[in-house]
Amino acid sequence: MKKVAGCQPEPCWLALRFTHLALDQFTRGLPVSTAVRSTADQRARNPAVAITDTINRKDVIIDCNPAAQASGIMPGMPATAAAGILDGLHLQPRKREAEQATLERLAAWCCQYSSQVCIPKNQSNGLRNGPRNGIVLEVGASKRLFGEAPQLATRLERELGQLGYHTTSGTAPTTEAAWLASHDNLHISDRDMIRSQAGPLPLTYLHLDAKQLLAMERMGFRQLRDLLKLPRKAFARRFGPAAADYLDRLLGLQADPQKLYFPPEHFTSRLELPAEIAHRQALLFPLKRMVSELCGVLRGGDNAAQSLHVVLGHEDHDDSSFVLNLQSPTQDPARLMRVMHERIERLQLPQAVRDIHLQAPRLLRFNANQSSLFQDNPGEQEQNIQQLAERLQARLGHKAVGGICGVEDHRPEYSWRMRELTEEPACTPLPHRPAWLLPKPRRCDISRYEILAGPERIESGWWDGRDCRRDYFIVRDQGGSTLWAFHEYKPRQGWFLHGIFA
Amino acid sequence: MGDRSVKAVTIDNLLSGTPDLWQGNRANCNQRTLPSGHRQLDAQLAGGGWPLGAVTEIITDAQGLGELSLLFPTLAELSNKGQWLIMVDPPWVPYPAALLGHGLALDRLLLVHSNNQKESLWACEQALYGSHGGVVLAWPERISFRHLRRLQLAAESNTKAAFLFRPIHAITAPSPAALRLRLQGGTTDIRIEILKCRGPRPTNPIRISPPFSPSLSRAALPPGHAATDSTGGIPGHINEAVELPASTTLN
Repeated sequence: MKKVAGCQPEPCWLALRFTHLALDQFTRGLPVSTAVRSTADQRARNPAVAITDTINRKDVIIDCNPAAQASGIMPGMPATAAAGILDGLHLQPRKREAEQATLERLAAWCCQYSSQVCIPKNQSNGLRNGPRNGIVLEVGASKRLFGEAPQLATRLERELGQLGYHTTSGTAPTTEAAWLASHDNLHISDRDMIRSQAGPLPLTYLHLDAKQLLAMERMGFRQLRDLLKLPRKAFARRFGPAAADYLDRLLGLQADPQKLYFPPEHFTSRLELPAEIAHRQALLFPLKRMVSELCGVLRGGDNAAQSLHVVLGHEDHDDSSFVLNLQSPTQDPARLMRVMHERIERLQLPQAVRDIHLQAPRLLRFNANQSSLFQDNPGEQEQNIQQLAERLQARLGHKAVGGICGVEDHRPEYSWRMRELTEEPACTPLPHRPAWLLPKPRRCDISRYEILAGPERIESGWWDGRDCRRDYFIVRDQGGSTLWAFHEYKPRQGWFLHGIFA
Repeated sequence: MGDRSVKAVTIDNLLSGTPDLWQGNRANCNQRTLPSGHRQLDAQLAGGGWPLGAVTEIITDAQGLGELSLLFPTLAELSNKGQWLIMVDPPWVPYPAALLGHGLALDRLLLVHSNNQKESLWACEQALYGSHGGVVLAWPERISFRHLRRLQLAAESNTKAAFLFRPIHAITAPSPAALRLRLQGGTTDIRIEILKCRGPRPTNPIRISPPFSPSLSRAALPPGHAATDSTGGIPGHINEAVELPASTTLN
């Protein structure tokens, strides 16, 4: 059998490196501000945030946002010193579980651009540069759909930036080379180019043991190409087979199978606000980012959500929570935010909000409807009315919006009920009945009315204890209004008005 | 000479071809309308029906003059075509059996109940903006000129018809509505007076039958209806003596 060369296209991996993952956990709820020198109002909107971590039993700043940097706070500084420099600094201890959860959520989000998404695992514990915070996805297969890899990389960086995450990216034919490339925004298109393009990169970018890196530095190696010049056997003898394997995988000489990430069937996201939010309108910005993230995850899994749970945490008060229910599943952030907006409008906050928890407990399959050029097809009408009902329900309450439906009962007051819009109405037509029913029959003086037609006997209900016997008449008052009145024999005696022929 | 005649024709064409320019002496033919189902009324209304993409005010001295049944032919036709009828804060309970009896499709009826005047107007505006086509019905107790104007704009943007039922005291208030009607009840018929409309205003009131009149009801009954009604225990046809037969199945 003859093998056809090049029938399998070379993979193209795109690596996304989150440069400020620990900080983004907290600051993604803040609007981007360009002002450096700030007034009190701007300071409230753009607070200085710094992340601390315990290194050698000391609390040290590991990252801070531009507002904190402007005041002279730098990574590496002791936390106590930083707090001394800036009075209103928000110090937040690093949350590793939250970072891992974020990586997984964003991996699910990346599924909208690729079917092969993985979170690169860390080789060993003693890493010099700390664990790898990033996502690697295969983009070569979707070149026709999303364009060339560099364009897609820019797009991903931009979109993640809109969600509040700082990233750098790079592409290469192998995952390890892509990871290296992401440090310098390199785009390596060919396997043969890895040596020449990644060669000048410093050794510190390599994903190797801290001890080995130190040893290499001491031996006088500075760049990747210095290592690549060594014969493989000699390299393996000096630094061990694991490091030699790493270089092989980097160059694509050895297969590098990846464990792909598969998103779970639910979505949950938690955002800790660096500064408490007291006004409900200010909640919309972080919620919008969270909802956009949710919708990206939904698109990635070809899913849709129909109900969202939002829990708002307070300092010392029970959490406030609400549920957004939609008439049909959706993955459209604009639609969700319209409903969210109305719900937030009538929210009562007992206290300032400290954190936001957004959950979509059940993801449903997404059924895309073809939209038409003209807005008058029934499907479009249905969608419009559903979205309208959602918006109205979000503000007025779930029960305030609905349809009406007939109930098989001869007594008019029991012959109707409200129905959900999804329910089919069932009813028997009675054209001679009035269009309006009074919610309760109202006692009246029959001598003031002129009887036009009647009687119509209605006698029913002995089985449910609300037995009645009535004679209905169509009457007219002096003003010309046509009304529906009845003379009751049982249980009460007398004349009552029950409807209006409007 | 030739030039001059061409010019004169062009100006005339320009004038008649500008829909926004209102000329008092002729009806505005570019008005999109919904047929009202009442021949006399259609003949008097500009464009031959209820204006579409505009607010229509129906002012009544009292409830029960047939203000809602005046719209039943239009509502029945639209709802059976799949268009939605949205009632914002109806003053009483719509009787489903009666609405169905007048041909309205109940599955196209949306009821909205708000808590106060402000929410009610908001819901009206949302309903007008929310979906394309269809009808919004509302019963505002008090509504300012500014809010009326907003509803008018909302109706225009989505070519919806909005009907506002208003009490008699609204008659003196200025209004941006495209059409204003006043209903007055009498012993034998209902008088409809057009207070304001686009195009020349007809001065003679229109007279239509009241919502329940013995002769009309009999004529309105479709053939064969009486038979099904009597088996179902529903009042059937109405005879000359104006007496409804008593219900038969009373368990």
